[in-house]
Parts: sequence; structure tokens; C-alpha cells
Amino acid sequence: MSAKPARSHRRRAMAGAPGNSNEDALAEPTDLGIARRVRDSRTRPVHLLLGDPADSCCAGVRARLAARGLPAHIVASPLAPPARLVWRLADGGLSSRLELGDDAAEIAGVLVRGTARFDPAGWEPADHTYMHAEMLAATLAWLTALRCPVVNRPSAALWYGGRASLLTWRPLLRRCGLHVPEQLITNDPAEAHAFRRRLAADGVAGAVYTPLTGEAGYLVATDAAWNGLADLQERSPVCLSEPHGAAHPACIVGGEVIWDDDSPPENRELASRLRQLAVATRLDFLEVAIAPFRRGLGVVTVEPVPVLEHFAAPTRARILDALTSLLLAPFAPEPEAMR
Amino acid sequence: MILVCGGLADGVTELVCARLQDSGYPYRLLDLARYPAGYRLAWRWTDAGPAGTVAGPDWALDLDALTGVYVRYLGPEGRLPPQGDPEAAAALQVEADAGLVALLENLSCPVVNRIGGGMSNNSKPYQALLLRRAGLKVPTTLVTNDPAVARAFQAEHGDVIYKSASGIRSIVRRLGPAQQARLVLLRYGPAQFQAYVPGHNVRVHTVGDTVFATRIETGAVDYRYAHLDGLDVAMTAVTLPAEVAAACLRAARELDLLFAGIDLKETPDGDYVCFEVNPCPGFIYYERHTGQPISAALADLLKGTTPAAWPAGRSSHRLTHSTRR
Repeated sequence: MSAKPARSHRRRAMAGAPGNSNEDALAEPTDLGIARRVRDSRTRPVHLLLGDPADSCCAGVRARLAARGLPAHIVASPLAPPARLVWRLADGGLSSRLELGDDAAEIAGVLVRGTARFDPAGWEPADHTYMHAEMLAATLAWLTALRCPVVNRPSAALWYGGRASLLTWRPLLRRCGLHVPEQLITNDPAEAHAFRRRLAADGVAGAVYTPLTGEAGYLVATDAAWNGLADLQERSPVCLSEPHGAAHPACIVGGEVIWDDDSPPENRELASRLRQLAVATRLDFLEVAIAPFRRGLGVVTVEPVPVLEHFAAPTRARILDALTSLLLAPFAPEPEAMR
Repeated sequence: MILVCGGLADGVTELVCARLQDSGYPYRLLDLARYPAGYRLAWRWTDAGPAGTVAGPDWALDLDALTGVYVRYLGPEGRLPPQGDPEAAAALQVEADAGLVALLENLSCPVVNRIGGGMSNNSKPYQALLLRRAGLKVPTTLVTNDPAVARAFQAEHGDVIYKSASGIRSIVRRLGPAQQARLVLLRYGPAQFQAYVPGHNVRVHTVGDTVFATRIETGAVDYRYAHLDGLDVAMTAVTLPAEVAAACLRAARELDLLFAGIDLKETPDGDYVCFEVNPCPGFIYYERHTGQPISAALADLLKGTTPAAWPAGRSSHRLTHSTRR
């Protein structure tokens, strides 16, 4: 099992696409350039799993890579000491190299789950904030131009945008032919009550209040709850959504849509639209929850950092297998940012 | 009808409002210093997109009637002091702002600018990759936490500047003896270095498909802070070579910015090198010094009398990579 990936890595390196060191094809289109890359490829290939060590997704992928004899590091702050980064952009092209420590390793693939602030000990708070921002900026640039497989290579919007509410995903969902329950933002209690009446007329009791900056939703169904909502509206607009039925998650990994075994068959009919959504978001790894509502089936959450625990155990294994395969895929000819 | 979201104490927002007034273009101001207090909001999303109204003290505006939105967000210093528990007030303000951002990202009319387009400004080296892809030349750049590599870069280029890779503390400085002595501190985190590019700064403002370029002549490394060094600044309106102007428009389009401030340098060889794109340019400085009708062009864009450079409503950009078109 372990020989194949090693051969595969060597083949990729000879084709001029080393994992960690990243050079524009235009920079050295000569045999000398290829020879230099082959020499570089003698370093040990390693996969980098960018995320929390406690993240089950990182841990699961690392275990699968280890089973194939491939080492992987889970790192939450990849540029923190003792890492060494050299990222250079010049007329001739881009070259970059990240070494995680004394052990020179060639990065063969990266899974992006998230980053964490480095240890603040010894730093003034303002300086720590500044240095964290610098590390985020450098990490994004490094990830953007990497030639090895990068699962969920982030855009600046995703990298800096924080958790996006369902409202933010609406235009993209609409473009992919996926419906979303009706939503309302208002600080006017009369508008909230009109929404309540509209839903009631269709036989739907109550509405779901979901803070745009939070994850939890709260069913507002009783008069007391509506009065409490009106109090809140004096201070801030609230986001109300049409309630929905039981939600079932789907995980898109590469071009594969993975469902729990008990997912309703009608949900599975949305598979092609979900694939389209993944393409539109440029994310290789995406979780979407589907639920029935007044007008049919719709999307109720979009999660660009899928949560393995949302799925049943057999599904988790399939997701991790698919993710591992993605990381071992042949190198892309050229990352988009380099074209 | 045009919606302006900003603070009247902010000079740029004030100028935009004044220009709309002068142009006879009707507008409403959503005062972000007070928002959401004093405003009635009712925005409803169906599969067809957002609909509804925003109402101020003596006006109401239907979202369907909007021809354009100008927004310039305020920091906490621009807001009225919060009432009640500061922590709760801050959380509610963030929630209210998130609602406004969601609306603006979803509107189909031109929005100057949607927030997603400006995110690249938080990572200058990332943005440099996008600018290069748009056809703009960028300076030779090194991002490293290795002191030896930084020293070698300076030995190679002689004159080197350093500036933050992020959007924080973004002041350009020459790498001199004092900084060289501190390069050992790089081990704690990376910094960005660039080969110094000689020549005159050129600030370009793109407004839809219109380009305004201003040449800035000064002895300061960073002309924005020339006054701190007691140096003068002279500004002149100039016309860019067609291919450079086209690349600037491509860059703005790539970043989904209907209005952008692009920092170039014109080298003695006649090359143009791009340093960065500002998604929320404070253009007053340039308009007042050169008389270029930047605010008038912006007003026309918001009114819809000049077409936006590209179809409005690319709001999905917020969550996707910019794409080549």
C-alpha cells in the first residue's frame, strides 16, 4: 500500500510540480530546472492538515494517510515558530517554501479546516493581534499559490469573512437551483407579526429566530415569545425564517455527494445541484443540510467547514475516505491564482 | 433613488452626498453613526431575492426603487456611544450590521462596494497574485520569517522597503540599518519586503469603466505620510497608457469593486508597477488637488446614468474566488 503513493509523488515531482516548493513553470522551463526539482523531491513528503488537533476530520484523515505510510501533521498555526516560510513573487514567477521545523519535508497536500492564534505568551495584545493578522495574510498567500492538492483552498472572502449566514449564501443557492425558506430581517414588530400571519395562513405555526452572528435558531411560537422578540427589536433588527421539517445533511467531497443511509430519496434528487453549488463555491469539501418547508425541499444550512459529527458513523468513514483520496489526487496543472 | 450608507462626520460620505445633491440625483442617507436607531427596516427574502423597505425619520424607500448604493462603513469611533450594557450593545450592533451587509450583498443594483470584494486587501501578497493575473506588474516581493533570506533579498536588490502583509499598520518604510538590526525578530513571525521601485506614485481611481489617474510627486517613501517627514506633495491629473488603464479596470472587475483606488508607480523606464488596491478609497484628497470629477462619475454610476462596468449582483463573489472573465 505504501509504495504507490511514494511512486506517485516522485512522478509528480518529475513532472515539475513539487509539493512544498512552488515554482512557476515559466521560471525554469529547462532540463536544469527539472533536475533541480527532482533533487528537491528527495525530501520526505508530508501532508499538512490545517486545523485543531482535536478536530475529528483532521484526525481521521491523518489516520488514513498513516495507514498508507504517509506522514501528516495537524497544525493550527502553520507559520508560528519554528516554521520557516520563504514566499517570493518576481517577474519570473512565484516560488514558495514552508518548512515546519528542522525536518525538511515536501508538502504533498493540504486540508484546510481552520487556523488558530499562536501562543500569546510574551506578546503585548496589540502586537499579538498585528502578528496574527500578518500570519493570516501570509498563510492565505501561501495556500493560494500552492501546486499540491489543497482541499478547500480559501478565497479572501472565506478566509476573512467568518461564518456566513444562510442569507449570504442565498444568491449562490438560487443560481444553482436550490430553494431556501423565506426569511425576513426587520426591527418592526408589525412586520414580524405579518410574517407570523402569513406562515399561519399556510398552516405553519411560529417562525425561527436565528441571530445572523450565531448558529442556534429559536422557535418563536407563543405570544410570550413574540412579545420577547418585539422587545429585542427595539434594540436591533432580527432575522426570522420559515420553520422547516427534519434536516438531513449532505456532504460534497470532490464531485461525490455523500448522504447518511436514512436520507430521504427526494433529497438525493438534489445531488446534481449540490455538485453545482460546490463548483460555484470552489470548495472541494462542503456540507449542506436539506429540509422540507412550505414550498418543497430547500437548503437550511451551508457549512464550508463540514462537521463530521453531523453524520452517522458509516458516513463519516466514507467522507474521510473521499477526503483522503482528494489529498492524494494528482497535482492540478496550475492554481487559478497563478494563471 | 440612491441609498448612501455612512456617517455624515466622514468627509468622503459628506462629499458623495454633496455631489448627489449638486447633480440633482435624489438620495437618502442611512446614517451609520445611529443605525439601526431611528430607522425602520423590513427586508424579506424569497427565491426572487430581497424586497422590502427602509424608512428614516421622514422618508421611506422601496428596495425595488434603488438605482445604486454607496456604503462606507464606520468603525466604533464613528458610532454614537452605546446605551446600556456595553457588551450587549456591541453584540446587537454587530447583529444589526450583519443584516445590512447581507442586504447589500444580495441587492441586484450597483453597490459601491460590496464587502466581499474588499477582503483581498487584508492580504497584500494574496492580492498581488490577483493583480498580476489581471495584467498588472507587481513589485518583486518577499514574505519570510527567515532573517538570512531577508538579508539576502536586500543584498540582491539594494534598496528594499517593508510593509505589513495584512491591512494593519500599513505604512511603507525603507529597510535601513535600524531595521536590519531587528531582522532577527523575524523568527517570531513573517514580514513583507519589496524591492524599492523608483519613480512617481500614480493613484488610479476606477469608477465603473472610467479611469482617473493622478501622478504624485514627493520625496517621501509613502506620500500619504509625507507631512510627517516635512516633505511636500504635488499632484497632477495624467492619462495612463491604454494597456495599463485596461489592466486597472480588469483588476477592479476581478475584485468585484465598482469603485477602487489603485496604487501604481511609474518608473523612470515608463513601466507601471502596482502595489495594491483600496476597496474604499478616500478620494477627496485627489479630487481636490486635481479637479478630476471622480465624485461626479460616482454619482452617475449610482444614478444609473452610466452603466456599471459589469452586471450588478455578483454578490456570490463574497464566498467564491474571483473568476476570470
